[in-house]
Amino acid sequence: MACWVPHTDRRAVPARPARELGARQVVAEPTRRLVLAAAAAGSLTLAGCTGIRALGPVPKPGADVVALERAIAAEELMVARYASVLSPLTGFGVTDKRSASAVKRAMAVVSVIHAEHEAHLAQLRSRLVLPARHATSRPRQSPTPAPLPAGWPSVLAALAAAETAASDRLIGWVPAAPPALAQLMASIAASEAAHVVLLGHHKAAR
Amino acid sequence: MSARAAKDIAALQAALAAEQAASYGYGIIGSHLAGRRFAAAAADCVAHERARDSLTVMLTARGAQPRPAAAAYQLPAPVRTQAAALSLAVMLERQVAAAYLGLVAVHDAALRTFAAHNMRYSAVRAARWSGKAETFPGLPASSLRRSGHTAR
Repeated sequence: MACWVPHTDRRAVPARPARELGARQVVAEPTRRLVLAAAAAGSLTLAGCTGIRALGPVPKPGADVVALERAIAAEELMVARYASVLSPLTGFGVTDKRSASAVKRAMAVVSVIHAEHEAHLAQLRSRLVLPARHATSRPRQSPTPAPLPAGWPSVLAALAAAETAASDRLIGWVPAAPPALAQLMASIAASEAAHVVLLGHHKAAR
Repeated sequence: MSARAAKDIAALQAALAAEQAASYGYGIIGSHLAGRRFAAAAADCVAHERARDSLTVMLTARGAQPRPAAAAYQLPAPVRTQAAALSLAVMLERQVAAAYLGLVAVHDAALRTFAAHNMRYSAVRAARWSGKAETFPGLPASSLRRSGHTAR
């Protein structure tokens, strides 16, 4: 992509690809894997031969881990919501050819957005690395989305409302998140707001 | 000045530069559009000017001198048609979203929220102009982790 360089600065500032400019802004910080691995190693050393239980109950996860888990749960729900719309069992009572064509187009959009939510979920999950005892102590239930409303326009409206709510929630978590996670959350929130446009609810998207 | 304050100011200046460029760019975009599209471009231009003004105030409040806009900007490609104008609008919005990324990572919670909202506005405007959404607006691909990574 060409760079947007002021005329006056053209000689002083070498043109760089936008990707490189963006990459400089991304925060590099110790990975969660590293931090948790270090914490786990320390705990094991302290526990010695008596085993980990000698240290007492499993410590509560930090606020950043809680925020990440919330974001993951919210994204899982979005993926499940879109999957239910794409389910072959979903009929929407289409009877005429024109409606069928419109539904086909809308399904293509829904399919694209579903894939984007799966990508969001994968990125969020890749940032959550918990020691095994944490992972097994809190089993997660599969999210169950609310039943779909009747009629295709109502389904799209419900998806748009869910996207707006999810985007708002993520932005609310940005101030307290660690820098790199805040950047990911802000980016996902922006993507979810853009989905509202794709779903045909331009006026709802702010 | 503390390192934290210097980081805030650098991130604000980067966002300001992007908003200044976008404000300039929308002047060119609007000249190739008509009707509803012209009205949309005018509204987006005003939104960028407002963001630019807010950033200027934030910098001044922190005792920093906002960097002035350039007199003119080199376009990435000639804009002679409506299609070229639309693609410039999409490119500008994507650059603005990327420019706010640094501000999302600063310590100040209010600045983070301001930046996150503006990333969202840019992503929505880009989607309106292109009819497509980006999966990770503002984030360079190099910052994304490969999927298939499992936590153990």
